[in-house]
Amino acid sequence: MIAFKLAFRNLFNAGLKTWLNVFVLSLAFISLVFFNGMIDGWDRQAEVDTKDWSIAEGQFWTPGYDSYDPFTIKESHQVLSHEVQQLIKNKQVTPVLLTEATAFPEGRMQTVLLRGMDVNQDILKLPLEKLKGKKNAVLIGSGMAKTLKLKKDDELMVRWRDKNGTFDAITFTIVYIFDCDVPSIDYGSLYMDIEALRKLTGMDNEASILISNDKNLTAIDSWVYKDNDFLLADIKEIISAKKTGGYVMTFFLLLIGLLAIFDTQVFSVFRRQKEIGTYIALGMTRQRVVSIFTIEGATNSILAALLGTVYGTPLFIFFTRHGISLSDTADMGSMGITASDIIYPYYSVGLIGSAVLLIIISSTIVSYLPSKKIANINPTDAIRGKVS
Amino acid sequence: MIVETKHLIKKFPVGKSFFTALNDINIHIDKGEFLGLVGPSGSGKTTLLNIIGSLDVPTEGNAHVLGKSIKDLSAKESAILRNRHIGFIFQTYNLFPVYSVYENVEFALLLQKKTASERKTAVMQALEWVGLTDKAKARPNAISGGECQRVAIARAMVKNPELVIADEPTANLDKANSFHILDTMKKLNKELSTTFIFATHDEKVMKFLDRIIYLEDGKVINDETIKTESL
Ligand SMILES: Nc1ncnc2c1ncn2[C@@H]1O[C@H](COP(=O)(O)OP(=O)(O)OP(=O)(O)O)[C@@H](O)[C@H]1O
Ligand SMILES: [Mg+2]
Repeated sequence: MIAFKLAFRNLFNAGLKTWLNVFVLSLAFISLVFFNGMIDGWDRQAEVDTKDWSIAEGQFWTPGYDSYDPFTIKESHQVLSHEVQQLIKNKQVTPVLLTEATAFPEGRMQTVLLRGMDVNQDILKLPLEKLKGKKNAVLIGSGMAKTLKLKKDDELMVRWRDKNGTFDAITFTIVYIFDCDVPSIDYGSLYMDIEALRKLTGMDNEASILISNDKNLTAIDSWVYKDNDFLLADIKEIISAKKTGGYVMTFFLLLIGLLAIFDTQVFSVFRRQKEIGTYIALGMTRQRVVSIFTIEGATNSILAALLGTVYGTPLFIFFTRHGISLSDTADMGSMGITASDIIYPYYSVGLIGSAVLLIIISSTIVSYLPSKKIANINPTDAIRGKVS
Repeated sequence: MIVETKHLIKKFPVGKSFFTALNDINIHIDKGEFLGLVGPSGSGKTTLLNIIGSLDVPTEGNAHVLGKSIKDLSAKESAILRNRHIGFIFQTYNLFPVYSVYENVEFALLLQKKTASERKTAVMQALEWVGLTDKAKARPNAISGGECQRVAIARAMVKNPELVIADEPTANLDKANSFHILDTMKKLNKELSTTFIFATHDEKVMKFLDRIIYLEDGKVINDETIKTESL
């Protein structure tokens, strides 16, 4: 306890230098919490968004279908059995029919995916009800609209091959543009009534995938079940890659903070020889002096955590309430990253606890390294301030 | 007996050979002595004080201080000996600049398991001995050199040690201040029977001493007891 008492006395009395070290270290602490909180919040949000817009509680794929391989789309459709129809009626699953097509916005050519969906579904957030009672109508996402330079009520010529491989074409009207943070939903797809698509393609009563809102539903006859761990794996990977960016920044701040402490410690051990000698004369062992100096250095990190908490808490509360706007920084959607314009960070106890631990442990180490030199100091020289 | 040395030899490595700083020192120091080690620069005064204060160990022979064999003490035992039983006063005061006068004096007691009120009583008593109760809250850089050395005396005396070791305590002080602190120490020596050992070549100090051990080239060349009039 006396070590802490002395450490605090020495630190407070060292004034500006201490506060500079503590401030830099507190920035590292805050940035660590800030970035990770943002990533965690984003992670949670992306997961929620993806579930809301794309996967709900899992999907069932036609055997052979692979969402990563567009060549599988053509063959991936099957007739819905009685069992599936029953599940649809019970609103446990909703069918999606996929057909590859080519769109011609303003004479340019663009491969698109026609997604036929039930206009009465309420498993996903997609506003398919906007299609009700409209002929040759499609919905698109706002990102897609931007890419194709299309507005609401614009017309879009689309060509596809029907069941028998012959080309067919139709002009759709864009009846609604929706906002969605999930790029795989926004980009590259046209949404239409599944009944209309079935007619156009001659795939009566067929679907390519089923989207489930029942976690416990894991098998439907020949359909291949894909759980959310599988379906969310991509997002998690992208987000953890983003995390690295935040770590780099935090790492540099931490490095600067730790270097400042290290430098102060080296300087202290060198300059405070007389004090060290006097500690020993007054009845401390050299080991004890080493621990006092180490604790003194490490106490910087405790002060940093306290200071960080003082100015960080209102900041974090603000961000948790109002979110962090990403819209100016980058167009994440077009980069294939699920990100809403505003991210609500999530600061968990575990996150803050581990940030505090990291700072304390690392600063204890950098404080100890120079301090352990004290164990070799000759007290009789030190007392006279002789530097050896 | 407070200090006894037997065939005490201290050698320092110098390059590939050794320099003998103390050469066969045999002295006895009794409780309540007010004694000085006197001799030219390099004669070994500080070296001898360091060994008596268990800050250093003999190369050959031994010193017994307060019944402890200096060469056999562990780091912890010698730390305890210094903390509880030996007070140190240095030429350069060696006060902790970041602590107040009060905290400087209190320091040794913090290492002992004394309660806050015990510490307070002892610190105020020690400050009273040196006449600095009104400067308790000051920082060392805000008081004069003479006052600093009086704080150092209070710090050495606060634990009521059997032995106080003072290496050239007046070397940085003017005549009036030297006189003042010697007077203070002499009084404490009389009142509390604390043993004082000085290293000095200051004439002013010698006038106060009861006994002078003359050192030259690491040897005792004279040991005289002086009958001083009580001041
Ligand atoms: N750590 C050391 N290494 C080598 N030589 C040393 C060491 N300490 C002291 N000496 C030498 O031992 C001799 C005695 O030194 P000491 O400091 O005891 O003298 P002193 O009588 O206190 O002198 P002064 O009056 O100058 O303080 C000196 O010649 C000094 O150079
Ligand atoms: Mg000396």
